Amino acid sequence: MMPPTIELDGLEVQLGGRTILHGLTGVLKSRAIGLLGPNGAGKSTLINTLLGFHVPSKGSVRVLGLDSHTDSKALRSLVGYMPENDAFIAKMSGVRFVRYMAEISGLPSEQAMERAHEAFVYVGLGEARYRPVGTYSLGMKQLAKLAQAIAHGPKVLILDEPTNGMDPPARKRLIELIREIREASDICLLLSSHLLRDVEETCDEVLILRNGQIASICNLVEERRANRKFLELETLGAEATFTAALESLGCECAVFSSGRIKVVMPDKVEIREVFKVAADRGVQIRRMNHRRDSLEDIFLSAMEQTGAPDGRL
Amino acid sequence: MAVYKRRYNSYLGSLTPTWSRFFVLTKFAFADLFKSRFFVLLLILATVPNLFFAGYIFIANNKTAQLLMQVRGADIFSVETRYFAIILLVQTNIALLLNCWVGPILVSGDLTNGALPLFLSRPFGRADYVLGKLAVLALLLSAVTWVPSLLLFGLQSGLARNGWIWSHLWMVIPIILCSAIWILMLSFISLAVSAWVKLRIVATGVIFVAFFVPLGLGEMFNAIMGTYWGHLLNFPLLFQLILSNGFREQSEPINSIYGRGEVPVAAAWGMMILVCIFSLFILNARLRARETVRG
Repeated sequence: MMPPTIELDGLEVQLGGRTILHGLTGVLKSRAIGLLGPNGAGKSTLINTLLGFHVPSKGSVRVLGLDSHTDSKALRSLVGYMPENDAFIAKMSGVRFVRYMAEISGLPSEQAMERAHEAFVYVGLGEARYRPVGTYSLGMKQLAKLAQAIAHGPKVLILDEPTNGMDPPARKRLIELIREIREASDICLLLSSHLLRDVEETCDEVLILRNGQIASICNLVEERRANRKFLELETLGAEATFTAALESLGCECAVFSSGRIKVVMPDKVEIREVFKVAADRGVQIRRMNHRRDSLEDIFLSAMEQTGAPDGRL
Repeated sequence: MAVYKRRYNSYLGSLTPTWSRFFVLTKFAFADLFKSRFFVLLLILATVPNLFFAGYIFIANNKTAQLLMQVRGADIFSVETRYFAIILLVQTNIALLLNCWVGPILVSGDLTNGALPLFLSRPFGRADYVLGKLAVLALLLSAVTWVPSLLLFGLQSGLARNGWIWSHLWMVIPIILCSAIWILMLSFISLAVSAWVKLRIVATGVIFVAFFVPLGLGEMFNAIMGTYWGHLLNFPLLFQLILSNGFREQSEPINSIYGRGEVPVAAAWGMMILVCIFSLFILNARLRARETVRG
C-alpha cells in the first residue's frame, strides 16, 4: 500500500527566532496537492522544510513515508523542485543547464543530455534551448525551471508559485503542462500558489495555510462530486408546483426572488429529469449552473476562521 | 519522453553512484573555464616559468651547453634543494593569481542567480558542492605547483644520474605537502570570499585584499607592539617559513624578503589550518539553500 503523499505530525518550524509553522498536523493522500494561503502564510517554509532546507524545531513531516529530516537525501532523490524565485545559471545555455541539473540528480551524461533536450522540447522551449538562460524572458525562465525539475523523472514534483509573472496564455500553457505531467505518469504533485485557479485546475486536494497554521484540508475531488449535485437555476414561470415536483424526485429546493432556485439533487437524479419536469410544467430554464466557486468559498471561509490548538484554525 | 512523442515519462534507467556526483560540478566548471580565452592564456603563461626552469636544469647538467654559453664553474648552475624551493615559491605565487581569477567564477555564478536551491534540492549536499568546486581549484593549482615541480624533479633526476634521485628523494614530500597546504588555503579563502561577496569582480578584489591587508596589519602590529607575532597574518611569509623548513633550507633568499621568520613553523602550519577552518565556517554560513533573516 502506498504511503500518504504528505504526513504532517505536529510540525513546527522556527526561523530567525520566530515560529513560522505552528505544529501542523494532517494527512494528505491525493497525488496532486495544492498549497494555498496568502503571502506569509508559510507555504514556502513548508516546501523548504519538505526539501530539508529547514530543520523542524518540533514534530516531523514525511513525504511518501520518508522523513524530511532523517531521510532527507533519499527524499530529495525522488523530488523535482521548481523554486519560486529566479534560480538558474545565467551564462549556460538552457539545455546545458538542464543537463547539468539532471547529471547532479544522478543521470549518466548521455541520458542527461537526451532528457534535457526532451524536457526542453516538452515545455515548449525547443527553439530557445541553445540560448543562455540569462537572456530568457520571465515566462521562459519559469519553463526552464520546470524543465530542470522534470528532466530527471522525479516521483514528486514540487512547484512553488509556478505561474508567477506569466502572461495569461503562458500561464494557461503551463497549467496544461502540469496537468499533462500529472496524468501521464504516477508522479505526485505539490503545487504552492496564492492563485486559487492554478490550484483548482491542477490539484485534487488542498492544504490551506494561514499564519503558519492549517486553515483547512479539503479534498477537491469530493467537493467537485458534491458540487455536481448542486444546481443554481434562473427560471421564468416557475411556480410552487415546479419545486414540489423536484422535491418529489428527492431534490432539496430553496426559492429566491426573480425565479432563482437552488437545487440539491440526490445521486440517482440526472439533470435531464430537471429539464423534463420544467418542460412538463411550461417553466423556462434561462440559466443553469453547477456551483463552481467551491475553492474560493472554502478559501474565504478558512481565512475568516480564528485560531485553535494543534495547528488548525 | 522522446522528443517526437512530446509526452512526460519517468526516468527508469541507471543512476551514477552518489559519491561521484560532486565531480559533475568539476567537469562542468572545467568545460566553462576552458571556453574563456583569457583563462587559457593565463594557464599558458603559468607554465612559461617551468620552461625556463627546465632549460636551466638542462644547462646545469650539460657541459657542452655550458661551454657554448661560455659559462665556467659548476656552482653557477646548482640544482639542489634551494632551487626546487624557489621553483615552488614562484609557482605558488602564480597559483595565487590563478586562484584569484578562477575561484570567484566558480561560485558567484551560482549564487547571483539563486541556483543553489536547485543543487541542494537534489541528493546532493553542501559538502558535495564545496568538494566539487574545491576539486576544480585543487586540480588547477596542482597543475601549476607540485605537478610541474615533480616533473622538473624527474627531469633533474634523469639528467643528473649518479644516484642524485636517491639522495634527493625526500624532497618529493615537501614539494607535495607544502603545495597541498597552500592550495587548500588558497582554495578555501577563494570559495569563502566568493560565497560571501557573490559578485565576481568584487570577489577577485576581496581575495587580493584578504591576502595583502592582513599582511600590512600584521606589520603594523609588529611595529607597535615590538613583537613578531604579527607575521601570523602574513600568509606569503608563513608559506615561505613552511617551505624553507620543509626543504631544510635556512639560507637566503627564501627568508630574505621579510627577514628571518621568528614565528615557529608549527604556528605557521596552525595559522594556515585555522584559515582553512575559518573559511569552512564562512562557507557553512553562506552556502544555504535559503537565507534566514533574524528578527
